[in-house]
Amino acid sequence: MVYQLPREPSWHRVAVWRRLKALGALYLQDGAAALPEDAVTREQLEWLQLRVREAGGEATLWEASPNTVAENAALAEEFRGLREAAYGELIDAADELRRKAEMGDGETMLLEELARIDRAFRNERRRDYFKSPLRKVADAAIREARRVVREGAGRAAREDAG
Amino acid sequence: MLWATRRGCHVDRMACMWLIRRRIDPNAGFHFFGDASEAPEGAELFDVAGARLSHRGDACTFETMLEEYDLDDPVLREISEIVHDADLMDDMYGRPESDGLDAVIRGMQLALPDDETLTLHTDAIFDGLYVYLRRETL
Repeated sequence: MVYQLPREPSWHRVAVWRRLKALGALYLQDGAAALPEDAVTREQLEWLQLRVREAGGEATLWEASPNTVAENAALAEEFRGLREAAYGELIDAADELRRKAEMGDGETMLLEELARIDRAFRNERRRDYFKSPLRKVADAAIREARRVVREGAGRAAREDAG
Repeated sequence: MLWATRRGCHVDRMACMWLIRRRIDPNAGFHFFGDASEAPEGAELFDVAGARLSHRGDACTFETMLEEYDLDDPVLREISEIVHDADLMDDMYGRPESDGLDAVIRGMQLALPDDETLTLHTDAIFDGLYVYLRRETL
């Protein structure tokens, strides 16, 4: 999508930028963002295009492919790179959660944190169009954290009963 | 009355068709087109850019329809939150049902040959969701 928005009010620009980030788009340059083509991304961009126009801007959708195989691969690598940082944070958060659970921290807080991590992981996976290698690592870290948190919750329940 | 929308329907349009049949126009007929210029004359367009019944600001078409037809029903309001989250994937309402609904309808899209067939099956899903949420809500 190639787009332009009036400078003021600035919140339209922020909203569109946020939406593109949430969809996992890659900015090729200012006002030009790319997504891999499928029925979902196409539809989401169509609605975003409408939004830009409603906000007094201009937006056009283009189907484009890089000129060479090498450029295509580099682009896919850039898309993967976008997800690496987020997966990295999730891995750290899951490890931290597991350590807290092993020390027997407050159960409610642990379950809430687990739910937050789960949701963030689902969102990340949805916009991970080129299967970043860190996805598996994050998945494993979260499963391990879940196992330890659940074991702790089970132990607390048995102690209450006893 | 004839209603028309784009081919390749997902959750928002499926929910709208269910709403139209159940609450707005029991004898509704539906037409699916590739491009809006192919829409039959006089048909009411929905979920099409620029139509009266479409996305509005942050709202999906199902939400717009509730407003346009004054459907003030707390259960439909709940369904609209689920549809919104599944359609726009922005977690605005944080409804956990939206992920499941999204997966089920996406899979049905792949398994069934066309929108006409799909919509015959998805009504049952929304009927079920409605009855379930009514127990929870009222």
